[in-house]
Amino acid sequence: MIEIDEDKLIRCPVCGAVNIDKGKENRCRRCASAIYHHKSFSTEKSWAFLITAMIAYVPANIYPMLITKQFGSEEGNTLLGGVIMLWEHGSYPIAMIIFVASILIPVLKFLVLIYLLISVKYPIGKDKKVNKHKLYYMTEVIGPWSMIDVFVVAILAALIHLANIEIIAGMAATAFALSVFFTLLAAHAFDERLIKENK
Amino acid sequence: METISSLSCCSVLPIERMRIMVLSYSEGSDIIIAMKLENEDALDNFIICEKCFTLHEEIPLENGTKACCSECGAILYRYDSKLPDYGLALSVTGLIFFILANLFPLVQIEILGHGQFITIPKTIFSMFENGFYFVGLLCTFLIFIFPLMIFTINMLLFTLLKMKRGKNLTKELLILLAHITPWSMTDIFLISILVALVKLIGYAQIHIGIAFWALMIFVMIDLYIVKRVRLFDIWMLRKRIIFDEDIK
Repeated sequence: MIEIDEDKLIRCPVCGAVNIDKGKENRCRRCASAIYHHKSFSTEKSWAFLITAMIAYVPANIYPMLITKQFGSEEGNTLLGGVIMLWEHGSYPIAMIIFVASILIPVLKFLVLIYLLISVKYPIGKDKKVNKHKLYYMTEVIGPWSMIDVFVVAILAALIHLANIEIIAGMAATAFALSVFFTLLAAHAFDERLIKENK
Repeated sequence: METISSLSCCSVLPIERMRIMVLSYSEGSDIIIAMKLENEDALDNFIICEKCFTLHEEIPLENGTKACCSECGAILYRYDSKLPDYGLALSVTGLIFFILANLFPLVQIEILGHGQFITIPKTIFSMFENGFYFVGLLCTFLIFIFPLMIFTINMLLFTLLKMKRGKNLTKELLILLAHITPWSMTDIFLISILVALVKLIGYAQIHIGIAFWALMIFVMIDLYIVKRVRLFDIWMLRKRIIFDEDIK
């Protein structure tokens, strides 16, 4: 017979099995993967990924995402420029999708992750009402959708490859892909159990 | 501890329900402060909601029903006795459609008499040719290697479960599956194709190829097998099968 507190039960992030929190070295009893529990650097890994992602997001907005070569003339389009152009052309739904996927979601995700990372370390007075689990779950779900822009660029660059008209991916494509990749890593590295500890 | 709100319940599962001894109640609510377990394996009968981290005790479900979290309403687990059958059938179907989606042209365009078509591998290779190695590599993994792996693993997994074999192999496969499922993005790729095509309307004549429809069906199966059939359900299925074997 073992006697345990309900608070001592933790969920394995890989397989979802319920485990007993044994303190330092936690290994899932079902899948043997490590359940992170390092008090000294609990959020640092996530911070590192997040900062990398934010740095990569800057060139993603400055450099052109798509370069259109048409009869010898070259024209570059940045992320925001592409959205504005689509809006002016009247394709509002597509402009909205691109805007949400490549500007709103990444920025929102940065803000939410920053908020979560700060609030689990330094609890701010009123934020007990905020459902942080739900917030985190939402960033996990909507996060991958920012890849839309990278895929669109890849498709257009592969498809429009003719003698007179050519679309080439710009510097921003790599930067943006890096940014999305590191935000996903940052979200995965975030230890959800920290939310519970500070409740 | 919360009780599970389920659509209906009756004892169909062979899992013996664990006896919990309630030591103390907090005033006015039925939250257990401490509980006694017979051994650590008895924890298998509990589940923590992945959205709100509430602890639940597992209850046996009727065939084809699901258990929901009483706090946030998220689905905890489902029970379906035919899971290995349709799991296997769908992963084989998905694999066939995935191969079709990769072999045939996805879309074809015509601008000023010039025609051009793309396939999924061609899209990825063109990124490498233009020197975008990181984007190319990312695309290779997200829309080719991971979906392929997920379906191959699922096929193997359900075959093994149906044959009631491979106690350790199924475990390793399930762990691998848990690591790669968040990184499969064929559904996002499908939406991206549509967005790219809408961008081209007016500039070019667009013909949608066979692979596009194959990809669409693949994405539907992918959504079903990855999002609806939860890994937790497969873990439970594996446990039941091993449990049955141990009795024999």
